[in-house]
Amino acid sequence: MSLEHVVGLGIVLFAIGAAGFFLRSNTVVLLLCIEVMLNAVNLILAGFSRYLHGAEGQVYIFMIMTVAAAEAAVGLAIIVALYRLLKTLDMSRINFLKG
Amino acid sequence: MLSESIWILPALPALGALANGLLGARWREKDIAAVAVGSVGLALATALALLAQMLSLPAGDRTFSVTLWRWLSDGALHVRVGFLLDSLAMVMVMVILFVGFLIHLYSAGYMKGEPGYRRYFVCLNLFVFFMLVLVLADNLVVTFVGWEGVGLCSYLLIGFWHEKKSACDAGRKAFVVNRIGDFGFLLGILMAAVTFGTVNYGDLARLLATGPAVSEGAVAAIALLLFVGAMGKSAQFPLHVWLPDAMEGPTPVSALIHAATMVNAGVYLMCRIAPFLEAPAVLPVIAVVGLVTALYASFCALGQRDIKRVLAYSTVSQIGYMFVALGCGLWAAGMFHLLTHGIFKGLLFLAAGAVIHALDGEQDLGRMGGLLRDLPAVSVTFMAGLLALAGIFPLSGFVSKDAILWGGFERYGTLFWVAAFGGALMTALYSGKLFSAFLGRRRFEGHPHRPGPLIVMPLATLAVFSLLAGIPGLPLFTADTFFARFLGMPAAQAAPDAAAHTLEVVLTVLQSLAVIAVLAGAIRLFTRERRLADPAVLASGFGIDNFYDLLLVRPLKACARFFAVIIDPRLIDGAVNGLGSLSLALGRLSAGLQTGQLRHYAVSLVAGAFVLIAITACLAGGF
Repeated sequence: MSLEHVVGLGIVLFAIGAAGFFLRSNTVVLLLCIEVMLNAVNLILAGFSRYLHGAEGQVYIFMIMTVAAAEAAVGLAIIVALYRLLKTLDMSRINFLKG
Repeated sequence: MLSESIWILPALPALGALANGLLGARWREKDIAAVAVGSVGLALATALALLAQMLSLPAGDRTFSVTLWRWLSDGALHVRVGFLLDSLAMVMVMVILFVGFLIHLYSAGYMKGEPGYRRYFVCLNLFVFFMLVLVLADNLVVTFVGWEGVGLCSYLLIGFWHEKKSACDAGRKAFVVNRIGDFGFLLGILMAAVTFGTVNYGDLARLLATGPAVSEGAVAAIALLLFVGAMGKSAQFPLHVWLPDAMEGPTPVSALIHAATMVNAGVYLMCRIAPFLEAPAVLPVIAVVGLVTALYASFCALGQRDIKRVLAYSTVSQIGYMFVALGCGLWAAGMFHLLTHGIFKGLLFLAAGAVIHALDGEQDLGRMGGLLRDLPAVSVTFMAGLLALAGIFPLSGFVSKDAILWGGFERYGTLFWVAAFGGALMTALYSGKLFSAFLGRRRFEGHPHRPGPLIVMPLATLAVFSLLAGIPGLPLFTADTFFARFLGMPAAQAAPDAAAHTLEVVLTVLQSLAVIAVLAGAIRLFTRERRLADPAVLASGFGIDNFYDLLLVRPLKACARFFAVIIDPRLIDGAVNGLGSLSLALGRLSAGLQTGQLRHYAVSLVAGAFVLIAITACLAGGF
């Protein structure tokens, strides 16, 4: 299992997450897509860490996981609040932030 | 030592002003007046003690000086805040505090029940403070501080009744006209500082006498620039226009500021810088300006119907005589006329105020007459002042004016004397006109009410002094009068020979007889026959105001209107508003990018990231 395999898998995962983020409109799914992208990055970091025999990449992974957990908590809370307010989770209809 | 602490003199009225200004909001009128009068009274007592101490010293050592602190010490110019009390300053201090004290006392009665009672006394105390700073300063810059301060107080007090538009206008006029003179003063200070590197009076005199040679033109320019300042403050032609209008202020203010003290500051300044006046062409200029003013204003005084305006023009005229004296090189004669004039003109204004008060605000001479029966005390003191003003032997005005007329004759010849003497006759003429208010039959409908003791007492004191103030000018016909000896300055030129002495005596006797004859004729003319007709040309002061209006005020107003109507709304507002609408339009344009759709933002985010990566890669030479 070479570096190329790991990085390739990370890129594919990231592309899937990004495409899902662009194309889907359900807010919960968008949150899932963000998680997929974050974990794709984690995967690449782990690959490089192993390839370079260093620990820095793994340290970053832990940081990202922490941030992702916090983000998921806040994001879910926002989603609950949004649903209570608007009775919908369709992002194409939630467009109040405009000039 | 008392002589070390001459700063107490200005500090006392300043404390009075602070106490009344900061704490006096809830005080009764009585307390406010007590603080104001008391502070000036204490200062007067201090000044008298200093005078006694000064007189006990030998003539050469009569100078008290103290340096308080360094003010400016950077660069080429060093300015220290210092006070200097010599015999010259002492004369001014005595006039300011003595007349000032009596006027404060008078004001306590005169302004009773006035809504701005506290404001009035704060301004009046502040004025005394600034006037003392002006007089005691030992350098030009500190003098200038006092100079501007008294100008400010004058402005505030002329416009005391600020709900009256004419009072506000008069205050503004006084301020603006003074500004012209002050500009000359400032230039004079700067030029003295550049030429000599100091502004201290003592250093300047020393440098002028023994220092490196300075061109006479520079000295003359400094002297003339400072004289322009003196012309503004002392209301000399053509900068006299503010003083008659300044009569809009309360009458005690006219007495204190616009007759006895502030308007004489120019004369004092000229004596302070006396060594500079020795430069060629300076003295004749001063003499001519003084003579023109004295003559011009005495004609104008004759044309006025308003009792205060007569006195105002008379003040302008008498200050003109002081400048004539200075222009003849007779510092002591000029200062002596300042002293006597301060006393009798202060008296005349205060008495006029009492008359106006008694007649419920009537100021028109045409409606006054026979007041001697209704207001005996005021009338008698007023007439005593008038006799002194006209120069009747042996009152104070006679002694001081006689020295000036003779000085003019000696230095500038017969023609000059004829003009100056003509002015003196005009003085007698308009004095006779004022007599008509007190003699003859009653003209005022209604009942004049007599003034209280607080008003009569200062009048009586000043009347006694205006009869006696000629004594320091004795013995007559010599250069060595008491006053000149005290001042340490000559009252007349070098001892005249016997023939000239005889001529002087003969001239004086003739002058006196002529003045008495003119005064008697004028009293008869104006009292019996009521020839109060006022030629419009005299009443308007030969139309100088209209001339200035046409020459300066209207072009300035037109200019201001042009800027207000064209430049400001079109150009300046246009630029400011244009910037505003420009950014608004740009904002509207870019607002279209904000759709509110989350995926649009996400796409632009990722696209931006790709663009950044591409640029970095290009720069790194990867492709």
